Amino acid sequence: MIPLNYFLVLSIILFALGAIAFFVKRDLITQFMAIEIMFNAANLAFLAFAKSAGSLDGQIIVFFVITVAAAEAAVGLAIILLIFRQKKTIKSEDIKLMKG
Amino acid sequence: MNTIYALFPVLIIVAASLLVMILEVFLKREDRSYLAYISLLFLIAAAAGCVKFWDKGYSYFDGNLSLSNLSLFFCFILIIATFLVILISMKYLTLQNANYGEYYVLLLFALSGMIIMVSSSDLIVIFLGLEVLSLSSYALAGLRREDEKSNEAAVKYFLLGSFASAFLVFGIAFLYGATQATAIPSIVEGLQSGSSFGTLGLVGLGLVVIGFGFKVAVVPFHMWTPDVYQGAPTPITAFFSVGPKAVGFAVLLRIFIPYFKDALESQLMFGLLWIIAAITMIAGNLIALRQTNVKRILAYSSIAHAGYLMVAILAQDTQSLVFYLTAYLFMNIGAFAAVIALGKKDHEYLELEDYKGIGFRYPWIGATFAVFLISLAGFPPTGGFLAKFYVFSAAVRQGLVSLVIIGVLASLVSVFYYLRIIIYMYMKEPSYDVEINIDNPSLFLALFLCLYGVLQLGIFPGNILVLISQAVAALPF
Repeated sequence: MIPLNYFLVLSIILFALGAIAFFVKRDLITQFMAIEIMFNAANLAFLAFAKSAGSLDGQIIVFFVITVAAAEAAVGLAIILLIFRQKKTIKSEDIKLMKG
Repeated sequence: MNTIYALFPVLIIVAASLLVMILEVFLKREDRSYLAYISLLFLIAAAAGCVKFWDKGYSYFDGNLSLSNLSLFFCFILIIATFLVILISMKYLTLQNANYGEYYVLLLFALSGMIIMVSSSDLIVIFLGLEVLSLSSYALAGLRREDEKSNEAAVKYFLLGSFASAFLVFGIAFLYGATQATAIPSIVEGLQSGSSFGTLGLVGLGLVVIGFGFKVAVVPFHMWTPDVYQGAPTPITAFFSVGPKAVGFAVLLRIFIPYFKDALESQLMFGLLWIIAAITMIAGNLIALRQTNVKRILAYSSIAHAGYLMVAILAQDTQSLVFYLTAYLFMNIGAFAAVIALGKKDHEYLELEDYKGIGFRYPWIGATFAVFLISLAGFPPTGGFLAKFYVFSAAVRQGLVSLVIIGVLASLVSVFYYLRIIIYMYMKEPSYDVEINIDNPSLFLALFLCLYGVLQLGIFPGNILVLISQAVAALPF
């Protein structure tokens, strides 16, 4: 059996990659995908913990998190679409009406 | 007691939003104000339910949803907040061309999410409630679809909000791994017993703080706040500044006040929150000084208030925290109501320049706005003064003297920018005419209710304090 730590390290790496991509990338869709990766890193951590403790809770929680991520995708893509219709761009540096 | 009545407040709000959603299809655009009246009726029913369930201690789903007195108190003030927000938005929506039927639906869904959050002690249920709240909030921020600023607010809120949610979920995963539990009392117990997973638990707790830090807008995690507050429709800004903050702190207090009881185990987290509270109070107030847009000033002021609330968490004093949130609700929604009052068809007056001479041209609006600003600055005889006084004196009792000194100095700074608005209203000559639409009875009702709340809490706080102490006495943890 693969030890718990391997899964944890993988999920931390995934999460960190997502967080870095969120700040480095300048494209709304890519930033949103970075967030999805972070959610999935959390899912992986839940599954690893559930498996190692032999409890079902963590596995069920993953379903909730997947559902929430899907709902967020629906709302988020709609908002990004609105931005695109109005400004014809989805570069985040072009979205700067308000500052200070 | 395990009974299905415990679901009543959530169910009635969800039923109201579904009903409003269906009715919206059948109503003509100009009849949409009926939707507001229906929502208000349901809110009153839900509030009545909260009053009736006081001291009953109903719970359901194996105690995962429990209406303790504290939860009921939070439900009650959240329902009042939504009630006031609906009152201030009725005319606004027609004037600013944002009269979409979804407005009330989303507002009620957001409220149902908040009620779920305050009445559960399981982090996963809290997370789901938070998402119900957040998803409705993203849509509400971008409600004025043809307005570029509104869209910008929505996309910024969405990106940073879901970024924060990811931190929260990851934190919950770590806490689950460290303690094999998702219920807050068992998590706190597991963390205090100092198992071999100590670091894991601490990391998880830190991630949860980051997640909620975004939602309540404390300083390193505040960057979305001013832009979202400025871009969102003004009544929604009022809602954002009160609702998510109140529920965020309701959850933080459930986690951290029992956790801090064990001073040795929680030293690290205590230090972290101490730093957050200090820089939130300092930065929030200092940046507010150089703002010229009233909505942005109020946004930074709400960040600063999150700092004072954090002090209450560190002082481990639930009572002063809840009192602060109650007072903050009335004064902040009141201030935004006054800002909304200064608007006409397709235009809002939001720059400081617009406020020149308002105090004499519209004496009632000017005077009530001045009262709310004085309360936000923390002068007697208003609720804001007593709230700050209770928080800071609780902190002194806990020996947090240096934090209190920072807080008092920061609120001295805040006096400057609050009074600046008053100076513009009363001591400057207007350079151009400000025409506003004053035919707005529901808004004036809201202004009056907020004024009453601020003064009642400032002059006769006794009744509320008794209620709050009853709510705190029956704490489940």
